[in-house]
Amino acid sequence: MRAIYLIARREYLSYVATWGFWLSLASVPLFMLVGASIPALLQSAQPVRHYVIIDETARGLDDAIQASIERERREQTRAALEAAARVSADAQTRERALAAFDADPVGQDGLNDALAILGLEDSAEMIEGDSGRLVRLEAPARTIDGLRPYLVGDQRVDTPEGSRSLFAAIFISQEPGSDLPLISYYSTNVTEQGLSGAARRALRDHVRDQALAERGLDPEEIRALSTLEPEMRSLNPATVEDAEVGAADWAPFIVAVVLAIMLWTAIFSVANMLLTSLIEEKGGKIIELLLSTVRVSDLLIGKLLGVAAVSFTLFAVWGLIGTTVMVIAGTFLQGMDPEIAGFIGEAVQPGLFLAALGYFLVGYLMYGAIFLALGSLCETLHDAQTLMSPLILVLMLPLMILVFAMRSIDSVAVQVVSWVPIWTPFIMIARLPSEPPLWEIAGTSAVMIVTLILVLWGAAAVFQQGALGHANADSVKHLFSRKKPVKDEE
Amino acid sequence: MTSPALEVSGLTKTFSGFPAVKGVSFTVPAGSITGFLGPNGAGKTTTLRMALGVIRPDAGTALLFGQPPTRRTLDRVGFLPEERGVYRKMTAEQVIALFARLKGLPANEARRRAAAALERFGLAASAGKKIKELSKGMAQKVQIIAAIIHEPDFIILDEPFSGLDPVNQAMLEDVILEQAAAGRTILFSTHVMAQAERICDRIVLMARGEKVFDGNVEEALAVVPRLVTIGVDSQDDISALLARFGEVTRLETDPDGAAQWQVALSAGVDPQHVLRACVEGGVRLTRFEPVRPHLHDAFVRLVSASDPLQPVEGV
Repeated sequence: MRAIYLIARREYLSYVATWGFWLSLASVPLFMLVGASIPALLQSAQPVRHYVIIDETARGLDDAIQASIERERREQTRAALEAAARVSADAQTRERALAAFDADPVGQDGLNDALAILGLEDSAEMIEGDSGRLVRLEAPARTIDGLRPYLVGDQRVDTPEGSRSLFAAIFISQEPGSDLPLISYYSTNVTEQGLSGAARRALRDHVRDQALAERGLDPEEIRALSTLEPEMRSLNPATVEDAEVGAADWAPFIVAVVLAIMLWTAIFSVANMLLTSLIEEKGGKIIELLLSTVRVSDLLIGKLLGVAAVSFTLFAVWGLIGTTVMVIAGTFLQGMDPEIAGFIGEAVQPGLFLAALGYFLVGYLMYGAIFLALGSLCETLHDAQTLMSPLILVLMLPLMILVFAMRSIDSVAVQVVSWVPIWTPFIMIARLPSEPPLWEIAGTSAVMIVTLILVLWGAAAVFQQGALGHANADSVKHLFSRKKPVKDEE
Repeated sequence: MTSPALEVSGLTKTFSGFPAVKGVSFTVPAGSITGFLGPNGAGKTTTLRMALGVIRPDAGTALLFGQPPTRRTLDRVGFLPEERGVYRKMTAEQVIALFARLKGLPANEARRRAAAALERFGLAASAGKKIKELSKGMAQKVQIIAAIIHEPDFIILDEPFSGLDPVNQAMLEDVILEQAAAGRTILFSTHVMAQAERICDRIVLMARGEKVFDGNVEEALAVVPRLVTIGVDSQDDISALLARFGEVTRLETDPDGAAQWQVALSAGVDPQHVLRACVEGGVRLTRFEPVRPHLHDAFVRLVSASDPLQPVEGV
């Protein structure tokens, strides 16, 4: 035990005392923060886009599109205002602010008054709807040939923001013999679909309303009919009083799949870390000195535990940060959006995290030992990559199964692959929220642990041969080609 | 009765059909300095690995202090392997303390001894430096310290002199003699015959996986005929006079015109007998020089004798 502790301690300190470790430690929360900020950053960095609408039908369809875009923009602004009001004001002030906004039932003229009531005058830009960044201009020409130089940037139009090229031109025409309008959308930006989608939705609603009106329906009636939607209740008969299934009920399933993928990534990266360090050690000719001092199994287990401790340190710090953020976010969102808060509350599953920890430990020991054994046969990383390729393919399979089986995690195929011990950690953690039978959990765990013991035993034997240079990457190749390796032994 | 530090019996190891060690038996008596010699590929390293239990023999046994190699017995052994290296990112003091602790010393004692040993080996100023910042010779000294820091009863050094400059070789020789004087048993392999001859009480010589000699240095030297070089101020043929003492060879005449003869003495012949015969035979001597044989000659002779068709490497 003393030797295992000392080897593990040295291994642990050799990582923890490096800049790389602290960078890894800080990078994940940092990347998560950056990742979370990216949509907002992209949103705020979006340029104002100018477009023109040419209505060749002379049916006022351009105004219908513009009115629809304005309506959508107003709805977005109102939703943002409501969310901000939930956080910053009491119920009475909230009502007053929304009433002030609704004083202009079609536009956003009431926004400033509403913000003044909430004391959020400086937040107008954040709250104002996204569609505000789409600005309609008077068309400088009526044909596509006339507009083309403005669209490709050869010519510019005067806008409130200065001289700019046109983002898009929307032509509305009508094919002979058809009652429906045809939208031709011209833009050099082929990825941004916001404006084209808004135009299509606007005209779709408009022509439907028009068609219904022609059949004698009152516009008010049409609007009332458009809002009709059946109510759907999804219930879970396993719960007391058949509780309704909500987003929160999905949380454990989503978290389990995320955990399985994280488990895979963690095991793969940590085992790789182990492999690299072993090859460095072999290059430094330290192994023989160690082997004359400690048993092979002590060295193997010490190295595995040392690197495992490194990853547990990373997980502990990340887990602490993640849980704190989720608890704070849950509390914060409780008043704003109880559904999201409930989802976050259900996502924090101590039992699932504990199981993940156990599966990580077994999976890591299993793959780590295999990586160490193969690493002991290699002199260079290039050798290692050659030997690792088949193993990496085997490791990829559970990930692929998880991706395809996400919606039917308890299918027979997934149940069967749960019994493949080298895949058990990834598949079973994803299956746990669906509550598989206890015998299946116990059985797969037992097979996995027996396999772990066999793998450790086999890895120690290979490690001993490889570490002392009695076997190498060529030995494996010769094993498969059934030829004797060439020996060079003192 | 004290058990030998090491007793190997019939050790055999084959790698992929290649016999690396063939039925090797020898004993390293407690308190002795034993040279473990042999050309490259003789099987020395494999024998040492089996002796330490690092690899398992196909046949035969190895006993350390009368017992099979276990953690307990290995804690009494200090080993410096031929293929050696240390953690390059650790400091000299950390490396020594780590190996001391692996050998069972408490942390404080390990650090105290590491500091003292670094001082003793003239490395005190480098104690806090990382191994990668040290010269090759300094790093090798750190490895040697790490091998003996726990004051083992039995020290095994595999090619300890390789890579050291003459000053450090002399220093290491002193360390070995110092450790032996403190009652420790030393077994070391080397290609430097002069050092083996100076330091060793006993010699075990391996060639092609087999032991070809096991005895003290004098016994090893005895396998080489002693030579006597004789200078005569005439060109008379004295081979008939010398022939009864051993094999006679006529050498080149020296610059002063004196004839040169060399006699490889037969076993049991004293050079004084040759001198007396020359004087009694009226030979006018200009030179009479008995030449003491060296371990190098014994090594070449013993290894060649085991397989005269194979050239001897690494000498």
